[in-house]
Amino acid sequence: MSALGRVRQWNAFSQVWHLFDAKWQNPFQSAAVITKYLMGKHKPFYHPFANCGDVVVVINSRHIALLGDEWKKRVYFHHTGYPGGASWTLAWELHEKSPTMILEKAVYSSMKGNLQRRHTMKRLIIYPDDIIPEDIHTNISSQIKQLRKVPKVLESDEVNNFPRIFKLPVDYVPS
Amino acid sequence: MSLLNSFRNHNNFRNILATASSLFFKRNIFLSQSLYLKEVKEVKINNQLIIEANIIPAPEEDRLLKTALNTECCAVCSLGVDIKHTDVPLLAQFVRSDGCMLPRRITGLCKIQHKRITYMVAMAQKAGLMSILTPPDSKKDPKRRPKWKKFNTYFDESTIQLPKEYKIKIKDF
Ligand SMILES: [Zn+2]
Repeated sequence: MSALGRVRQWNAFSQVWHLFDAKWQNPFQSAAVITKYLMGKHKPFYHPFANCGDVVVVINSRHIALLGDEWKKRVYFHHTGYPGGASWTLAWELHEKSPTMILEKAVYSSMKGNLQRRHTMKRLIIYPDDIIPEDIHTNISSQIKQLRKVPKVLESDEVNNFPRIFKLPVDYVPS
Repeated sequence: MSLLNSFRNHNNFRNILATASSLFFKRNIFLSQSLYLKEVKEVKINNQLIIEANIIPAPEEDRLLKTALNTECCAVCSLGVDIKHTDVPLLAQFVRSDGCMLPRRITGLCKIQHKRITYMVAMAQKAGLMSILTPPDSKKDPKRRPKWKKFNTYFDESTIQLPKEYKIKIKDF
């Protein structure tokens, strides 16, 4: 085997660690992208029996964004198994208790329920903030593109430098 | 400078040059609020004193877009840009310093665009993107809001629903 072919094979079968910044991202839309990398479906030689999945490190899961009023409309159901053991938790209540669980559940439910799913989920590492342990940080060599642009908060000097859209009346004084 | 003038913040206002008139008339108290819209000039030509009050151009005049002078429909229609609720520097021009919308007689918007901008300003405020333009007693930092309001939220502009009578016009637009 030539030297180039050897390197190509290493690259093909090495496990890449991807970073995903979940700041202002919809967890359910990003889950579809994260699963693709977790299962290795972005590789041309993907096969469900082959162990070709990558590792995805998700940061800023505390700062995910939901659409409209989903924080108070989305409900998570749990049953303890005992009579009267059903409970319904709203998304914002769950996110207060565990800032990583909504994203983890979103990725878990975006995959098909088979024996492989639990093993694939072990390759997903989620952190609520942007602080990563050093031993995980050294492994990261790739980044997944964000689906949504992180919106900018308005600053006072921005208003005074932006082009004016409409003409104010001559005698108008802003208040 | 008169006493009454000094309590207002001049930063936002057109230039202050109304002092000349108060000195001339020996008057330090104004019965009406001074707006600093005009510059008072005294010109002496051959024993003739001319006092003229010229309107001062607004400081934002040089940043005015050419489309603003288009009289076809309104400023937003002639801009021809798909405005999103995240375009906060643009939306900030349509609100007062406490975050409430300017009326249509000042902005000159058509009914459709006024309604759309109003909804998008509300979206930006709920997402906490325009917290510097809020009433002074409001919680500026979105993280300090109660319950679900403290978490990041984004909006879809296609969910903006206009009244039935507006909808026919939007097809033409
Ligand atoms: Zn218009």
